[in-house]
Amino acid sequence: MNKFDVISTRAHRIDTPDKATGQAMFTDDLCRPGQLYGVLLQSPHPHARILSIDTSKAVNLPGVKSVITHEQAGYIKYGVSPARYDETVFAIDKVRYVGDEIAAVAAVSLDIALKALSLIKVKYELLPAVFTVEDATKKGAPQLHENSPGNLCAEVHQEFGDVAAALKTCDIIKTSTMKNKRQDGAFIEMQGCLAEFDNRGLLTLVSSTQVPHYVQRTVAMVLGMDVGKVRVKKPYVGAGFGIKAAACPMELACCILARETKKPVKMNFTREQVFMYSRARHQFTHTITTGAKKDGTLMAIKHECCLDGGAYTSFGIATVYYTGSLLGGPYKIANMSYDGKRVYNNKPACGAQRGHGAVIARALFEQQMDMIAEEIGMDPMELRIKNMMDTGDTTCNDLNMSSFGMSECIEAVRIGSNWDKKKGNMPRGKGIGMACGFFVSGAGYPIYRSDTYHGTVIIKLTEDGGTALVYTASAEIGQGSDTAFAMIAAEALGIPLDNVRLASGDTDMGVDLGAYSSRQTLMTGHAVKQAADHAKTQVLEVLAEQLLVPLEKLDIKKGFIEFAGDTPDFSALRTRYIKEHRGWIDNPDSKKLTFKEASRIAFLEKGSIVGTGKYKPHNLGGKFKGAAVGTSPAYGCSAQVAEVTVDMETGQVTIDNITDAHDCGKAINLTAVEGQMEGSVSMGIGEAMHEEVIFNDKGQVLNNDLAEYKIVTSVDMPRVKTIVVESCEPNGPYGAKEVGEGAIMPTIPAILNAVYNATGVRINELPLTPERVFFAIQDYKAKMAK
Amino acid sequence: MLLPTFEFHEPLSIKDALKLKKSLGEDAKLLAGGTDLLVHLKKKLITTNNLISLSGIKALSLITKEKNAVIIGSCTTMTQLSSTPIIQKNFPALKAGCDNLGTHLIRNRATIGGNACNASPAGDTLPALLIYDALALLETSDKKREIPMADFFTGPGKSCIQPDEILTGFRLPIPGKNSGAHYIQLGKRKSSEINLVNVAAFLKYDPDTKKIIDARIALGSVAATPIRSPKAESTLMGQTPEEACFFAAGEMARREDCHPIDDFRGSARYRQAMVGVLTKRTLTRAYELARSACI
Repeated sequence: MNKFDVISTRAHRIDTPDKATGQAMFTDDLCRPGQLYGVLLQSPHPHARILSIDTSKAVNLPGVKSVITHEQAGYIKYGVSPARYDETVFAIDKVRYVGDEIAAVAAVSLDIALKALSLIKVKYELLPAVFTVEDATKKGAPQLHENSPGNLCAEVHQEFGDVAAALKTCDIIKTSTMKNKRQDGAFIEMQGCLAEFDNRGLLTLVSSTQVPHYVQRTVAMVLGMDVGKVRVKKPYVGAGFGIKAAACPMELACCILARETKKPVKMNFTREQVFMYSRARHQFTHTITTGAKKDGTLMAIKHECCLDGGAYTSFGIATVYYTGSLLGGPYKIANMSYDGKRVYNNKPACGAQRGHGAVIARALFEQQMDMIAEEIGMDPMELRIKNMMDTGDTTCNDLNMSSFGMSECIEAVRIGSNWDKKKGNMPRGKGIGMACGFFVSGAGYPIYRSDTYHGTVIIKLTEDGGTALVYTASAEIGQGSDTAFAMIAAEALGIPLDNVRLASGDTDMGVDLGAYSSRQTLMTGHAVKQAADHAKTQVLEVLAEQLLVPLEKLDIKKGFIEFAGDTPDFSALRTRYIKEHRGWIDNPDSKKLTFKEASRIAFLEKGSIVGTGKYKPHNLGGKFKGAAVGTSPAYGCSAQVAEVTVDMETGQVTIDNITDAHDCGKAINLTAVEGQMEGSVSMGIGEAMHEEVIFNDKGQVLNNDLAEYKIVTSVDMPRVKTIVVESCEPNGPYGAKEVGEGAIMPTIPAILNAVYNATGVRINELPLTPERVFFAIQDYKAKMAK
Repeated sequence: MLLPTFEFHEPLSIKDALKLKKSLGEDAKLLAGGTDLLVHLKKKLITTNNLISLSGIKALSLITKEKNAVIIGSCTTMTQLSSTPIIQKNFPALKAGCDNLGTHLIRNRATIGGNACNASPAGDTLPALLIYDALALLETSDKKREIPMADFFTGPGKSCIQPDEILTGFRLPIPGKNSGAHYIQLGKRKSSEINLVNVAAFLKYDPDTKKIIDARIALGSVAATPIRSPKAESTLMGQTPEEACFFAAGEMARREDCHPIDDFRGSARYRQAMVGVLTKRTLTRAYELARSACI
C-alpha cells in the first residue's frame, strides 16, 4: 500500500480564500478600458421566415458602435460535432425557436445597447411551429431543416448478440416506459464573455466556459482566423454542468463585435436567456424490455428511446448514442439492442448535462431490476450483485471495466443504510429503495476526429528553486480540479502543496479538452503527474551527477531529498546554495538536503527546469458504428439507497436519507469527492422531484427563473451519507477516476424504487410533484378496489 | 434585465407620503420591501415614472398593542413579525405564513402590507389576515377608513385601495380564550415556493359544552383572491370538535367553497382535492392549539 503525503487527504481547496472573501474574479467582474456592452436580438417567434432586417435606426442611435447580423457574421456553419454542424451565428433565412439569434449590438452602455435592440426592425413571415416529438414527426409537419426530412436529427440502431432469441429463453420479461422532463442546468453564473483584439490581431476571449479549447477552435473557424490568433481564457466559473461545454452564439457574436468596433466588448446572458438558450438535459421517452431467468440471471435488454431535441443538434448526436451505450453495464448482459432517435422541433436545443444521455435510461432500467427482484423474491441488492460485471470484464458493446468497485459500493450502502433491517419492515408511507449506476471517466475520443493529446501540462520549477508552477489549459469550474492537479503535482514532485502554484483555463497553456465527460482528474491528472515526474527527474539527475549517487537511489519526499542507503555528504551543495543567500536568516540547516536547494542547484547547472506531460487514451472500443461513444479509459461506479416518506393524502414526497457509495478509484481530495457526490445527489433529487422547463403553446418558457424552476433548496436536501470506495484504477493517475457525473446515476431510480416501496405505485413520469404522486396513488387505489 | 428609470421619492412621514401620492397621481407606485414590485418593474409588468419608498417612515414598521387588538404597521417585515412575541403568542397562523414566505433574504425585506397589496391569491400571510378578522387601515390626506380584509381583495393583484390612499397597517383583534388557529401551505418543494394551495383556520369552542362556537377558514390559491370558506365554516358551528366534523368541513370546502383554475404550477383538480386535506389538517391543528392553550 502506497503512502501518500498530499493526495488522499482533505487538503483545503486552493481557491477557497479567493471565493470565501469574494475576491475571486468571474467574467462579469472583469472590465477593460473603453469596454462596450453587447446585447443579442433574439427571435420572439418559434418558427418564422426572415423577410428583412432593418438596422438603420439602431445604427444611428448615439452611443451605438456596431450592429451586426448574418451579413457581418457570415455563413459558416458550426455546432458541437463536425458531422452535425447546423447552426450559424445569426439566423439567415429563418428562425427556429423563441430565442434564435438574429442580430447583436455593441454600444457604450447596456442601456443604449438595449434601446438600439428595440430599434431593429425585423419582418417575419410566421411559419407553423411544432413543439413535441409527436407533432414534429407527423406526416406533413412543418420542417425545421432542409436536410432533415421528418425532423429526424439523428437515429441509431444497434444490436449486440441476439435479443429476440435471448428473450425467448427468459422466464421473466418486464417492459415499461419512462419519461423525464427537459432540464435546466441552473448554474449560479449565467454565461458571460469579454472579447478584445490587440493591435497585432490577436483575439482574446474571456468566457465563462467549461471548454476553452473547443471554444478557441470554433471561434477561429467561424471568424476565419488562425487558431493561434485566438486565445480563450476562463476566469473563475460558477459551474456549467455540460451546458457551457461548447461555443455559444453569444461568444461568437461578442468576438465579431470586438472585431467590428476594435474595442473590448462584454456580453452576458440574463437568467431568462439562459433558459432560452437551454442546451441542458433532453426530455427522453424510453421503453425498455428486460428479460431474465427465474434464478435472476439477466439475459437481454431491448431498448427504444426518443429524444425531444429542440431546434438544433448541439450535443444531440453524442447524446443519442450515449443513451444506448451506457446500458451495456454494469451488469453482465450478452444481448442488447438499441433503437434511438432524436427529433427536431421549435424549442431551444437540448444538449449535455451531468450524466450525459444516460440518466433516464438508467432510471428506468434500475426500476426493472427491482421489478424482477420482487417477482422472483430476491433482495434487490443480491440480484444486482449476482449479475454484476467483474473487474476486467468488457460489455457486449466493448466497454472495458479496468477497475470496478460496484459490488463493494452495494455492500457499503447495504451496511451504511442499515438496509437489511429496514427493507420490508417500513410502515406504509415510508419506503426504501436502491439503485446502481456507472459513468465514463473521460470520453475516449475528442469531439472532433483527431489524434490530438487530450491534455498537455507544463510544470516549471521557479529558478530560485522554491516553487513548482503548473500550467494547464484545463477548466476549473467549481468542481475542484485546480486543487486536485496542484495536489497531484505536489505528490509527484514530493513537495508540500503550499509550494505549488497553478494556473489553468488558458489556451496559451496548452491543449486540454476541458471539463466535460468527467475527464479531467484522470486525463489532465495523468499529464500533471507525467510533467511532475519529468521535472523531478531532471532535478534528481543533476543531484546524481553532483553527488555521484545512482539516480535510482534518489527521491524527493515532503520537500526533502531522500537517499536510499547512506546519505552522501552534500555540504558542498549546501555551501553553494548558502553563499548565494548571504544576509538571509532562514538558510537551510536541516539534516536532509531540501528540495529548494536541489532544484536551485539543478537550475544553476541546466537552466530553467521544465517538465512536460501529455495524455491520450489508448485505442478504445469496437468497430461498429458509434462504437466510440461511451468508451473511456475507466468507469466510476456508484450505488445509492434512498429513504422516503410519502404523504398518502397529498402526494408530497420527503426524502429522508440518501446513502451514497462511489468508487472513484482513488480520492485525490476526499472532501472534494464527497462534494461531487452530494452535488450529484442534489441535482438528481431536483430532476426526480421538482425540475421541469415548462413552455406555453407559443414556444416560450413559462418558468424562466429560479423562483419557478425549482431546484433543490437546502430545506429539501436530505442528509447524505457519503462512502468513498477506492478500486485503484490502473489507467488513472494514482488510481483515480471520475466522481462528477456517475454519482447522479442511481439517485433518480433509488428514489423511484423507494416511492414504490412506500406506496406500491410505480410512477413512470418525472418529476414526482405532489400532484403526480397523488393521482398515481388515487388511480392505484381505484384499480385495487375493482 | 435592467430596472427602468424612475424618480425615487423617500418621504419620512405618512403625511408627506400622502401628499406625494396625491400630487404624483395614479402613476406613482409605493415601494415597501420591493420583493414583488422590483421584479415586476424589471419584467415590465408594471411601469411607472415615480416610486415612493415607504421605508423611511418609522411609524409604518411598528407593532403596537391596543386593549383588545394589535396594530401591525404595513411595512413590518416577515422576519420582524415572526420574531415578535406578541405575534408568536396571539397569531401563530400569521407567524406560520410569515415563516413560509420566500427565502430568508426575501423575508428580511418583504412586508405584510406589500403582501396584501400585491394581492396574489397565493399570498402567504393573507389567509391568516382573513381568519383573524383583520381590518386594513387606509389613509388619505383627509380621512382614514378601516376595511375588513374579507372586503379588501377585488381580484388577482387588485385591492380596494384608492389611488390617493396608503395602507398604513392592520388591526387584528386578539383572539379570546379557548381558541386556536393554524396555517398550512402546500408546494412542490419545501422552501421558496409559490403555493399550490394554502389554508388557514381558526376555531373557538365553549369549554362547558365542548362545542365549536366560532370557526373561520380561509383558502388561498383556489380562487381569484384569498377567500373565506363560509359553507365549511357553517358546518362546524355547534359541532363537537373531532376528526369527523373536521373531515366534513374539509369536504364542504373542497366541494362548495373553492374555484381553482389550471395553471402551469398545478391543475384545478389537484388544488381542489388538496383544499379538503389541508382544511381538515388545519382545523385539527387549530383545535389542538386551542385545547393546549387552556390547559
